Amino acid sequence: MKSVSRSRRTGLGALGLVAFVALWEISLRLGLLPGNLVPLPSAIPTVFWGEVVDGIWWEVVSSSLSHYSVGVAIGSLAGIAMGVAAALLPVFDALHAWLARLLRPIPPLAWIPFAIIWFGITPSAAAFIISIGVFWINYFASYSAVRAVDPGYDEVARAFGQGSLLARLTKVSLPAAAPGILGGLRAGLGQGWMTVVAAELFGIPGIGQRMMEASGLLATDIVVVYMLTIAALYALFDLGFLHLQKRLLIWTP
Amino acid sequence: MDTLTAERNADACVLKAHDLALGFGGQRVLEHVDLRLAPREFIAIVGASGVGKSTLLRALCGLLPAVAGERWLDESPRDGARPWSMVFQAPRLFPWRRIRANVALGLEGLGLSREERQRRALAPLELVGLGDMPERFPSTLSGGQQQRVGIARALAVKPRVLFMDEPFSALDAITRRRLQNELIDLRQRTEAAIVFVTHDIEEAVLLADRVMVLGGHQGGAPARVIDTLEITLPTDNRREHADFGAQVHHLETLIGAVPEAS
Repeated sequence: MKSVSRSRRTGLGALGLVAFVALWEISLRLGLLPGNLVPLPSAIPTVFWGEVVDGIWWEVVSSSLSHYSVGVAIGSLAGIAMGVAAALLPVFDALHAWLARLLRPIPPLAWIPFAIIWFGITPSAAAFIISIGVFWINYFASYSAVRAVDPGYDEVARAFGQGSLLARLTKVSLPAAAPGILGGLRAGLGQGWMTVVAAELFGIPGIGQRMMEASGLLATDIVVVYMLTIAALYALFDLGFLHLQKRLLIWTP
Repeated sequence: MDTLTAERNADACVLKAHDLALGFGGQRVLEHVDLRLAPREFIAIVGASGVGKSTLLRALCGLLPAVAGERWLDESPRDGARPWSMVFQAPRLFPWRRIRANVALGLEGLGLSREERQRRALAPLELVGLGDMPERFPSTLSGGQQQRVGIARALAVKPRVLFMDEPFSALDAITRRRLQNELIDLRQRTEAAIVFVTHDIEEAVLLADRVMVLGGHQGGAPARVIDTLEITLPTDNRREHADFGAQVHHLETLIGAVPEAS
């Protein structure tokens, strides 16, 4: 396959996007798409501005962000801690291996009933559901990253008086596994947005709830505004994290 | 036992092994190893691959437990130093640490301040000729430079015994020759006794005061010490010495002419 230069890729990407939106707009105006089911792209900015002026946009976004950040923080920390511990402590690993295999396939949304029973219709319930998906991603990423660390490094640590579990954890396992652990964190940041909307569908204020309201009124333009909001927030977080990752992994060639 | 060895026995000693046996899972791979190492002495351990040289090295420093026998290393405490350290076959630097921090690894946990460790790491780096790049990451160094950092890391802790596990075998011929010469120079500037494992007999004769030959493991029998040879050549320009080739040849026949184990 012929490769495409970087600048050409950017140009083609923009062209594809513009063409898609233009086709969408024209199809609606020509009556090829039903206007009550699909909003007009050119109307989106005005609707977005309306949401901002009413103060609704900021209210639901900040509410979702708070569920998101609490859920992602708890899920990431717990996932990394458990994954690293399982990789370093064979007995602990064996003890919960079956339990992990049992719980792993349960989708985060299947925990909604328990979230409501345990936390009620509260922001904590949404954070709990978000944290579950994030937990598993970080758990498995950290586990395999630590397991893949060259055992030669452990021997070096022992040969230079750094053989204690704590010293090996902080001076070998964590820095050596950092690329894999950070990769898991990044995937978790994405997974968090996947569940944030669903976690709010049962009445917890946030982007998800606002989208449900809008769909009830057939306000498809408002739904699209929040779909794009999520895409933008995800891109922002991902970009920020990439920047941080680059700084932390300055040593990788 | 010749008189020189007897004399050494009476002197100070930094490492001793008596009737040491090594093995894995109930199977002995090496047995009846006796060794006494004097301060600043350089002993090379040679033998065919699979004879257990690296295993013996790890048992002598204590990284691996022995199956039987005794092993003693002078571990009496000294400020800011460790009893022993090791140079590995692959440099095994921590890629996430800068050169200086790699060299300082063994200095951590010795009660030195951060500034002290940073300062102490610089001297051995200068000794191996890399004093001008302490802030670089290992991935930016050549294989030879990385192994030099590995040597600096081992020297930084001022070890009584320096264990070297085929440290030059992964390097190209030119770099290997250069590092061998540097090691000969280095011996004048370190207090450490050296235990050096190699499969290269020329290298052993070039560097060591004594060469311990392992073998006799044909037919599944555990290996043992076939012979220990004093190298009587002067330290300088050994390669050019008239007897160099003869000593190498003698060792080669020794390794090649191993009788079947009974």
